[in-house]
Amino acid sequence: MENIKRKNQQWVLAISFCILLLVLFISCQKTEDATIKIQSALPEDSLKEESASGNYPYRRLSTYGFFQGDLNALDPTEGVIFYKPASSLFTDNAFKSRFVFIPEGNNAEIEAEELNLPLGTILIKNFYYPTDFRNPDGDRKIIETRLMIHEEKGWQAYPYVWNESQTEAVLRVVGGEFEVRYIDLQGENQIINYLVPNKNQCKSCHNKNEAMAPIGVQIKHLNNEVDYGHIQANQLKYWSDRRKLLGWDEAKAYPTLVNYEDQSQELNDRAMAYLDINCAHCHSAAGPASTSGLFLTYDQQDPMKLGINKTPVAAGSGAGSFTYDIVPGKPEESILIHRMNSTQVGVAMPEIGRTTVDKKGVELIKAWIAELE
Amino acid sequence: MRKSIPCLIGIALASVLFSCGSSTSEQSFDSSQLTRVSQTEVDQVIEAFIMAEDSSTIEIPAGFYEMNSQLILDNKTGVKIKGAGMDQTVISFRNLKSGGEGIKIVGNAISIEDLTIEDAPGDGIKAQHSDGITFRRINVTWTNGDKSKNGTYAIYPVQCKNVVIDECIASHSKDAGIYVGQSENIVVKNSLAFGNVAGIEIENCDNAEVFGNTARDNAGGILVFNLPGLPKSDGKGTKIYDNDILDNNHENFATPLGEGPNGNTVTMIPPGSGVVLLAAKEVEVYGNRILRNKTAGISIASYQVTGFPAEAPNWSPYTTDIYVHENEYERNWYQFPDFSRELGKLILVYNAHGFAKTQDIIYDGIWDEKLSASIDSNPMRVCIQESEIENLRFTRFDLSKGEENITASKDATPFKNCEVKVNTDRSGLE
Repeated sequence: MENIKRKNQQWVLAISFCILLLVLFISCQKTEDATIKIQSALPEDSLKEESASGNYPYRRLSTYGFFQGDLNALDPTEGVIFYKPASSLFTDNAFKSRFVFIPEGNNAEIEAEELNLPLGTILIKNFYYPTDFRNPDGDRKIIETRLMIHEEKGWQAYPYVWNESQTEAVLRVVGGEFEVRYIDLQGENQIINYLVPNKNQCKSCHNKNEAMAPIGVQIKHLNNEVDYGHIQANQLKYWSDRRKLLGWDEAKAYPTLVNYEDQSQELNDRAMAYLDINCAHCHSAAGPASTSGLFLTYDQQDPMKLGINKTPVAAGSGAGSFTYDIVPGKPEESILIHRMNSTQVGVAMPEIGRTTVDKKGVELIKAWIAELE
Repeated sequence: MRKSIPCLIGIALASVLFSCGSSTSEQSFDSSQLTRVSQTEVDQVIEAFIMAEDSSTIEIPAGFYEMNSQLILDNKTGVKIKGAGMDQTVISFRNLKSGGEGIKIVGNAISIEDLTIEDAPGDGIKAQHSDGITFRRINVTWTNGDKSKNGTYAIYPVQCKNVVIDECIASHSKDAGIYVGQSENIVVKNSLAFGNVAGIEIENCDNAEVFGNTARDNAGGILVFNLPGLPKSDGKGTKIYDNDILDNNHENFATPLGEGPNGNTVTMIPPGSGVVLLAAKEVEVYGNRILRNKTAGISIASYQVTGFPAEAPNWSPYTTDIYVHENEYERNWYQFPDFSRELGKLILVYNAHGFAKTQDIIYDGIWDEKLSASIDSNPMRVCIQESEIENLRFTRFDLSKGEENITASKDATPFKNCEVKVNTDRSGLE
């Protein structure tokens, strides 16, 4: 009798143990389920034929006719002009090639130091990764092309995602996540989960008084020389010479920012250029981060607005264990560095556009804070 | 030497208090039973936000939505976002890989109703530059057991006009559950905030009414702040009435346990704070039930107590024009003021009623000496009309002689026989 009872108890124990295991297993399963699946397939019907009706946006990038020959060669057609801001926003080490299309017979104008682009202007920004960073002009994979179109109702942003065979990119307003592999400058294999923003996330950065606005296409970023292949020229003068820009005076009449990667420039100029292109689209009086009172435009003179001994407002975890945005001479105690150095959502700045740390940028801003008094 | 004895006792006490510092992970609803919707249905919601037309309704059916992208409604007018109920439509941002908040709204005459937002890495729902924004019956929370991983604000309208927050629940945020910043014309009513660092916070705002809410089990219940250096530089006109402000004794988890405050002002809030006014202007606090908050029922403080730089254009660090009357107070005999934050320590050690005694009302007694040589003329116009104030624990500190010579007085006479007219107007805010 006793024996049977004991046996029963053992059974109960064994069954309980199994149930426990099962529960554990299920709960583990649940966490596994929670990991995001990388989307790579594109909807079938997005590749249907379409004609260039003039009604934007088109479903397919090729319909716009920006490029000749193979689409992925990104070889611009007549009237599509290459451009390059002096400094570039960090987006997970992605390479970018940018073009502007200003409709035939139209032109940009300079008014009150602002570059105004006519209706119908399209900014074309391609994001790609060379297969091997040591050979940046070799094989590459284009991930997305973002268009900003100046429509009647203002600027609109449209993200296009490239297919595996690199023959086409299609409109994908909901954005997505894509795995990218490349070999970095040190020859090491890198894998990142590249995030394509959804259409409305574009405005998280491209936002001036709640209206969509270009970032790189401003006088201060384009008032510099680039190599067009056949000629080296100041970009805005080049536009002006081709009657795509009216009202251009001469380069020195306008502000200009340095390339922050150019080590021959003054540290302060490099740092301010970095902060302007990477932060000031939000952190300015007209940007969405005006709430913070931290304004990081290149010409900021007010120490408090620049973050010097300024307490945060709504930083939450972003503040780490620190008190001030910038502590002069102490980069390690500055919230600015803490947030640039993080990849944790809620801490990392900028809030979108990167999942890795811009190590060179961090070093630059550290060096700059170290020299502040 | 005399000072070191209370300090030693304090440290001993603190270790006891730390070990029994309260924390809660209570959830209003159980979202784990809901059906998880497909990726296609998730994408449909993202697309609905992007493609929304003016005057349309975005309906989000019942289900558990695991978002991997933000939901952003941009520059629309008259859009209503509607779930199937707080317990039915649950939008989780646990897997969000970028973006400062789960849902972001910019527009006019927008309402969002009947849904739950979970686990956003930054803020739960943020509305900015919006005129006419209503949050009704939305529940915003975090389900992490480890609350240090939670997001900043649950419900976060900022730089808005005509804000209504009604019948909402905000819990477990690392900063404020319901946070209204740099806005004007605000009603926060019939809502519940619990398990947050701050329950409800009105910051740099004009014309706000906060009534009929329950703020319980937060570190601080209801806060009115004005912080320096912001585009909306100072705010005034807040009424706080008919609220239940209970047991706000939760640990302050805005920074990890054991780590002191950082530059975020909320990290300095001592657990056990019912109402905190900091650099606040024109605030009336009346008819509330302020019960069992272990440090102080109402704290009236100037920004100088933070120790941060207290100068900014068009902003004053002083708390002025305060009218506190007809509130109900209750203290638990077995609870002591907080020892983890400076303001808590000040109250614990230096209050006028005896070491480690919970206070009903404290006033830091910092005044603008340009206006008056003495605080006895009540230059900051702080008026307290509580019946039987003699039976309440009131402390006015004197910090003017430096940290080594802090004194305190229980005499409320200079602040008793006056009234402050606070004007607010909530017409049109339903």
